[in-house]
Amino acid sequence: MNIADLLAALEASPPAVSIRDSLYLFPLIESLHVFGLAMVFGTIMIIDLRLLGLASTRRPFTMMASDILKWTWLAFALTATTGALMFITNAGVYYHNTYFRVKMAMLVLSGINTLIFERTALRSVARWNTEKAAPPAGRTVAALSLLFWIGVIFMGRWVGFTSTRAAPPTDSDINIESLLPK
Amino acid sequence: MHHWSGRAAGVNQFAEWLSQTSLSLAIQVHEWVIPTIQSIHIVAIGIVLGSVFMIDLRILGWAGRDQTLDETTSRFGPWLTGALCVLLLTGVVMIIGEPARELLAFSFWFKMSLVAIGTIVAAVFQVSLNRSRQQWETSLVNRWTIKSLAVLTFLVWVGVVVLGRLIAYDHVWGSWSASLKA
Repeated sequence: MNIADLLAALEASPPAVSIRDSLYLFPLIESLHVFGLAMVFGTIMIIDLRLLGLASTRRPFTMMASDILKWTWLAFALTATTGALMFITNAGVYYHNTYFRVKMAMLVLSGINTLIFERTALRSVARWNTEKAAPPAGRTVAALSLLFWIGVIFMGRWVGFTSTRAAPPTDSDINIESLLPK
Repeated sequence: MHHWSGRAAGVNQFAEWLSQTSLSLAIQVHEWVIPTIQSIHIVAIGIVLGSVFMIDLRILGWAGRDQTLDETTSRFGPWLTGALCVLLLTGVVMIIGEPARELLAFSFWFKMSLVAIGTIVAAVFQVSLNRSRQQWETSLVNRWTIKSLAVLTFLVWVGVVVLGRLIAYDHVWGSWSASLKA
């Protein structure tokens, strides 16, 4: 199965069809996607600023990490799921969109960045846990993390402006008032 | 429904006038402005969500238990205020650039109502904390009404994010949306 077949199969899958056929699903999924990524960025930024020594400098790093990162992962799961659901509705278009590809590359770089952190600065965390800032390796990772995530947000917005969404149904007979009691 | 239609007509005229101002026209001809401003807007909403989330988790006792309530709001309050200012500024640029898209959207006015509620709650909380710090730290924070209010406040901001994205899909409100009639 080549990539074109795979993309076509994704577009023809039942969830993709249901989302395309609904007046409400795509907007709702996209809204949850923005909520999820705002939570991912908002919580990661708190960790990154701590590593850089710019905020929360008097709190032990490990305590902040255990307070916050579980929520970051939960938000990431929501963002990835909603992102995948949007992707399959128009897989061929998104796959060939340059901004989408740059966004995915930045996500991968962000993942590699996290792995590097775990193999470098985090190993010696006991030594700098209560210091004002992380050692140079940790600060570099934090700065790159902020850069990648802000990049992901910008690229994501550009995907929206440069790709055509599968045409939304515009049935004027369907509206929210018809769902409410008269 | 007459009062609503009348108001929509007034707003429509204002949007029409605004869209012909030189500032609006300048934004309209430079296609990169709106996506850039929207991206900055999302970065700022991430900071708002992250900040409100951390203060609310502290009230719930789910994070930052090594910190007093005052230490927590001193850390996140200024970031919340700063990010809200960025949101206001970028929001105004978006209204000037695309007046009809924003001002005729039901989602926009619903969102602004929630922004007002969220901002007032945050301000009242900060003033009250400054006035009766001891009472907040020892007893108020343990009340279930305060904890419920923390959850509710977070949900208000989630609503702000969701409605913000729904401005692009105002058709989901059917006849409640003035943009369909314009």
